[in-house]
Amino acid sequence: MNIWELIIQQPLTNVLIVISHAFAGNFGAAIILLTIVVNLVLLPLTLNQIKSSKKMMELQPKLAELQKKYAKDRQKLSQETMALYKTSGVKPAGCMLTMIIQMPVWFALYQSIMLSLAAVPEGLLNLSRYLYPWPIVFASIPINPYFLGMDLSSPNAILGVLVGVFMWVQQKMSTMPTADPQQSSQNSMMLWMMPLLFTFMSLTFPAGLALYWVVNSLFRIALQYRITGWGTLFKKAAKPTEPEKKYLEFKQPEEKRTTIVDKDGQVIITDKDSLKKSQKKGFFDRFKLGGGDNNPPDQNK
Amino acid sequence: MKFKKIKIFGLVSLLVTAILMLAVFGFSCVSGLAAVGWSGGVVANNTLYVGSMEGRLVSVNLNDQSILRAEPLKVQSQGGLFGCSSALSCGGGTSRVPIYGTPVVSDNVVYVAGYNGKIFAYNALNFAEKWEYPSVGAGYLQPFVGGMVIDNNKLYIGCANSYVYCLDANTGGLLGSYQTGDKVWGTPVVVDGSLYIGSFDKTLYALNADDMTLKWKYTTEGSIIAPPLVKDGIVYAGSFDKNLYALDAATGTLKWKFEANNWFWSQPVIVNNMLYAGNLDGNIYCLNPATGATIKIFGKDDLAVISPFVSQPAAVDNYIIFASQVGIVYRIDSTTQEIEPLATLTGTITGPLTVYNGIIYFQTQDAAIQRVDYKFIDEGKDPLLSSISLVSG
Repeated sequence: MNIWELIIQQPLTNVLIVISHAFAGNFGAAIILLTIVVNLVLLPLTLNQIKSSKKMMELQPKLAELQKKYAKDRQKLSQETMALYKTSGVKPAGCMLTMIIQMPVWFALYQSIMLSLAAVPEGLLNLSRYLYPWPIVFASIPINPYFLGMDLSSPNAILGVLVGVFMWVQQKMSTMPTADPQQSSQNSMMLWMMPLLFTFMSLTFPAGLALYWVVNSLFRIALQYRITGWGTLFKKAAKPTEPEKKYLEFKQPEEKRTTIVDKDGQVIITDKDSLKKSQKKGFFDRFKLGGGDNNPPDQNK
Repeated sequence: MKFKKIKIFGLVSLLVTAILMLAVFGFSCVSGLAAVGWSGGVVANNTLYVGSMEGRLVSVNLNDQSILRAEPLKVQSQGGLFGCSSALSCGGGTSRVPIYGTPVVSDNVVYVAGYNGKIFAYNALNFAEKWEYPSVGAGYLQPFVGGMVIDNNKLYIGCANSYVYCLDANTGGLLGSYQTGDKVWGTPVVVDGSLYIGSFDKTLYALNADDMTLKWKYTTEGSIIAPPLVKDGIVYAGSFDKNLYALDAATGTLKWKFEANNWFWSQPVIVNNMLYAGNLDGNIYCLNPATGATIKIFGKDDLAVISPFVSQPAAVDNYIIFASQVGIVYRIDSTTQEIEPLATLTGTITGPLTVYNGIIYFQTQDAAIQRVDYKFIDEGKDPLLSSISLVSG
């Protein structure tokens, strides 16, 4: 057994089996609970990722402007882009890093699900290597793969479709409208490619994995809703600019300053609404960026 | 504009490839996701019959190790996405039926059961199909993982649909069945008119082989896959609760039980009044069959590598031959209790061992029949003989 199996895969597999035993052998409930628990553990990282992605998306119009302005000077473009990131407090690597940190945990979780399900004889034989010598674990094997009338050890079409639907909703919610045609077509391609890819995988692998993806997507949807609302789910995406049409430049009005910083560095709230809001701030609000609608201003005609 | 589109397409393709690669990496870390099979061999008329990892029933001439015939088990009409259902394995663009149970030969008929839920009977010489159960057009049962036994012209087999079936070996007609509480992956044993078989429902069943009615049952704390051993009125059965049980064959009352560290996956053997049982904890336990007292444990001090004992051991003369999953074949001398490695193979061994004319035959995961002469080591020769590839084409 390698280090990965010893410190990640084996404990997680045994925990999953014990949870299943606690739910009277209901493996579906164990998958749901463990997926939620793991999501909660990774919550600060996930929130950070959503926050970073949102900031990055908000910078897209400015980045497009820079690209247009320094189209012929790659070095200057790179410098200006980095400067923009710096002034806006965005760390592009941070977003990726968060995803990279989360990835092994997701792998471990779905590896444990697949291991515990032991869908084929070789799987059951393989599972024996991972079991702790606890009577409760040995008594729980083999896992009962049935959940709400579905066999979690075989592919299930309903769960496969649900994976696609929820993943699409999650993607749609997190996609910010953009006027950049390149970004727009990239977004729309991603919006369909990811759910289709995961639906395909769900229809091929045991349904236990699909259940995990469904719960995971639902959790992400709830989180995304809490932070950004429904996003672009019920809104039309911004129309990309057409080269043959003329556009007027729209200048964003200066934001009303609701706070000022005095010479001692103290933040003073200057209007009543902001004061009320600051008193009601909860855990999730710390991750909120500005007001309810944070969509970047469109380039109006 | 065209360049931009190509760039976007390239980016998305790269992302999709990355996800697929990550998925493949993630899944590759979990071995045992695809049904492959681990059939053993049976010898009749100097011909070895085995279910290959490619889902074919293969006959091998043991005089010259040539393949006589190979018949792929019939693939059912495709159910799942891209024709891959849970009962089939898809690889290399083709579907195949995994075979776990060792074929059985009786009266020039070879019987084999597939993971696709079908039992086939073929003429042993030309592989002409005699019958199949369920018959053509009658659908398929759940996977067959355990082997079968033929006794008194009746074929007995357990199925993953929780039933133990009794069929007419001549016609394939159903004579009777018995439903257990869960999947049956074990191989039945018939002794003196009684059939013994374990189930996932943690119970060992003793049935009247004639009418498939229950004689007695004994419930343990874990599932039972290992075929029981019946000797001198005692049934020995290993369980997933880590215990090896000795039960009275007539009444099912417990005589003794012995606890190991992991599951008992294979049938024990008794040689020279000593019981030898391999365990997935990597030890071989030698016990007194009457009392369950430990005579010797072959563990880390005796074995080259600690690896699970999955394969059914074989007894020949005073020796017991064990093969560990990692590919080491051992010989235990029951008179001296000495153990020595006979051969070290690169492929894993999970299928049962078969002995014929002093040679041990077993299939390795690289789809080859390995041959080991257990006496060669005494003559200073390499016991590992040339293997027989079962790979088609």
